[in-house]
Amino acid sequence: MPLSLNYLVKRFIWIFLVVVGVVIFSYVAIIASPGDPAVKWAGNPRGPNASLAIELARRELGLDKPLHIQVLKFVSDVFTGNIGLSIAYKIPVFEVILRRLVATLELLFVTYLIAIPLGVFLGIESALHRGGKLDTLLQSLGTVLANTPTFWVGAWLFLSLILLGAYPYGRVDPKLATATGFHPITGFYLIDSLIEGNILVFANVLSKIVPPAIAIAIYPVGVLVRLTRALVSDTLLEDYIRASVAWGVRRSVIIWRYTLKAITPGLVQVIGLAFAYSLVDAMAVEYVVFGREGLGSLLVDSLNYSDFRIAIGLVIVVAVFYLLVNTLTDIIQALIDPKVRL
Amino acid sequence: MGVSISLVVLIVVGFIAYQYVWGPPTIKQRVVVYAYNDRITGIDPSIEDDTGLVIIGLVYEQLLRYNPITGELEPVLAVAWNSSKNGTEWVFRLREGVVFHDGTPLNATAVKLSIERARDVYVETGRGAGYIWEALEDIEVLDEYTVKIVLKYPQRLDLLVAATYAAYIFSPKALSSSGASSYLDRKLEEWFNRGNDAGTGPYTIEYYKPDSEVRLKKFDRWWGWSLINNTQAPDYVIIKILPDPQSQYNGLISGEIDIASSVPRDYVSILLSRGFKAYNLTTYHNYLMFFNTRRYPTNITEFRKAIACALDLDEAVRLAMKGFALKGSGIVPHGFPGFTDGLYHQCGLSEALQYLSESGVQTPVRIEILYQVDYEETRIFAEVLQSRLRDLNIELILNPQPWSQLKEIAKGVWENPENTPHLIVADWWPTMPSPYDFLYVMFHSDSKEWNFAGYDNDEFEDLLDRAWELEGINYSEALSLYRRAQEIIFNDVAGINLWDEVRPFMYSARVELPPKCMNPLYMYVIYFQYVSVRI
Repeated sequence: MPLSLNYLVKRFIWIFLVVVGVVIFSYVAIIASPGDPAVKWAGNPRGPNASLAIELARRELGLDKPLHIQVLKFVSDVFTGNIGLSIAYKIPVFEVILRRLVATLELLFVTYLIAIPLGVFLGIESALHRGGKLDTLLQSLGTVLANTPTFWVGAWLFLSLILLGAYPYGRVDPKLATATGFHPITGFYLIDSLIEGNILVFANVLSKIVPPAIAIAIYPVGVLVRLTRALVSDTLLEDYIRASVAWGVRRSVIIWRYTLKAITPGLVQVIGLAFAYSLVDAMAVEYVVFGREGLGSLLVDSLNYSDFRIAIGLVIVVAVFYLLVNTLTDIIQALIDPKVRL
Repeated sequence: MGVSISLVVLIVVGFIAYQYVWGPPTIKQRVVVYAYNDRITGIDPSIEDDTGLVIIGLVYEQLLRYNPITGELEPVLAVAWNSSKNGTEWVFRLREGVVFHDGTPLNATAVKLSIERARDVYVETGRGAGYIWEALEDIEVLDEYTVKIVLKYPQRLDLLVAATYAAYIFSPKALSSSGASSYLDRKLEEWFNRGNDAGTGPYTIEYYKPDSEVRLKKFDRWWGWSLINNTQAPDYVIIKILPDPQSQYNGLISGEIDIASSVPRDYVSILLSRGFKAYNLTTYHNYLMFFNTRRYPTNITEFRKAIACALDLDEAVRLAMKGFALKGSGIVPHGFPGFTDGLYHQCGLSEALQYLSESGVQTPVRIEILYQVDYEETRIFAEVLQSRLRDLNIELILNPQPWSQLKEIAKGVWENPENTPHLIVADWWPTMPSPYDFLYVMFHSDSKEWNFAGYDNDEFEDLLDRAWELEGINYSEALSLYRRAQEIIFNDVAGINLWDEVRPFMYSARVELPPKCMNPLYMYVIYFQYVSVRI
């Protein structure tokens, strides 16, 4: 068994400690920054009783207590799943973050459905034409893609599509969703529309998610082209590949079965890191360019509105996301690569 | 692998082609999408006094509604009203046959409950705009459809029941539906804020996500449908929360949005050339610049006058608002009761230098201006002012901040004036149709949360209090006192009304916005019952 219980326990203790650290650091940083959450919680009160409203709000939020008590209380609230209501929206923090997280994750999943096959395929083609014109072209393409700002590509793509008469705006056409009675269940609109058998909404959601997914995919595609080329080039020089060629094994089997299997552990490691990084890209592109709800706009709003509950909740989500993706990557690598033991 | 990729690509291209080539199916219902530029901060009809109005204004109704053109009150849930001679007793006759969205009938008990809750929440917790009911002594239910309101002192109660906030009537059944033990129980507020409603308005809440989207459905049993006879009113209203103007513009040209409340002002002409239309609403939303009257050198009246003279309001409107504003005059905005024309500083650089010399302030001198970071217009204004003040050898330091930080810094003028910027730019829109709303909240020394000037003037406050008390007895005399109060602020230069915003609501050709669908007192509310939508 490449995966030990000891590793998992250690890893989860580590995640726990990181989350506690993140909560403490974020809470202190946000509370110490300018802006009084009590004013927003009280609803920007006016009139002669305004100061009473702010005082009561401060008490309700526990901001009247010493900082260390506030921090302890907040840490305890986080681990009991009781962060409470959003300061700005007056609805449960968990509900807001979950809805936005699901929207961003759906976009990322589609992004990687595009990026992985495309990046790997182009990387293999590049390796198979080492030193040739196609190799030079694909290597240059990989470098350009990995270093092009996602936001710029997103804006360019959006405007180009608009000029072509396509409108990749929002997550779903609200008029269509309303008229066809679309009611999200899981929050993953592609899945929800299929569950409900609403093919019109499915097509609409797909047409809106592909353009931003392409914009976000350029970075992982660029990375994967270069990485795959390097890994495949090395693998093709291995003795067992040479032996397979000598034995007359079909070229497609050597490439798509033997070589791909050999490079998968290396790919998984990098895809894991790139996936976590793409979260930031998605946050930058999804709302301002494509009008999609997601984590990015929520983070900006929460800071503008002194909504420390949402802001800290988001920091926790991003931290846990990174830690889980890394852990999952390690686990997958251990499962598929016999040389790795955890 | 190659086959799998080809298959996936084929499916994706197939779906996209289906979407774009054959286009969306014909939709049988009238759905309109309205992009609103702020998050919804709550929808409790008694407590909410901020952005939730955009929803509340369609879901709930007041007894009367203010007509900004005539200055008269129009019947909504009340069909007749009168007051005693001394203005302390008011009787309202309710419209019969009105039902709440929960199916229960409107009656005098609901009116009593709604007003008392708004008042008592404010008295107990300071939240909401229930202070408008400060004069309330008692509410008597005379019969099922008649309610008598007794006041402690004379008031224009007809104006108060038409207020922007704290005047909405909700169904008493909301208490049992929410499990609240009394109307002060927090459970009731939480119930409302979860997206439940108990109003009588033409639309009811179907889907409520205050950070992203609110969907309203036509309430077929609304009493007004037969009166307005608009067969093309939307069946569904979707309010999309899109604070970024660029995103609203993208949504408009993509066809996903029908009405945008806030596109970049530079883009208005582009949209007009592309066939979109504009509804230019002259709002009661104004931008004011407060002078910190408790810190050197803005504590010197002549110095403040020097800045006022250096400031060219016409230029500010042209550059900062791209012309979408009216130059401010006095404190109260254009068209609002108590508006005073000609109350702006008509002087130039030479007089500014004269005042500066009289002030005794040695130049060069450095002062600071605080403004909201996400308002492009205030940034441009601050930069224009910075350039103007350079001619007076005054260096203006720019301090942009998010709203919550701005407010906290600005109200420090009372406790810590030396650390509060000399100039503060903030905006305001009213709660009730009375100049008292503007003048009390922003310039009375009891209003320390919003009086960013730190202004404290007994003569002004006495005038203001007298005007407020006179409103119920001699309204025209009260308005004249409000004008005098504004002259005092003008002469003291405690604050300057920079401009009253004219907001272009951009909309597509598939909707028609008649004049009646918007009202500057109920900012951002579009009365969709009057709107026509083509399928």
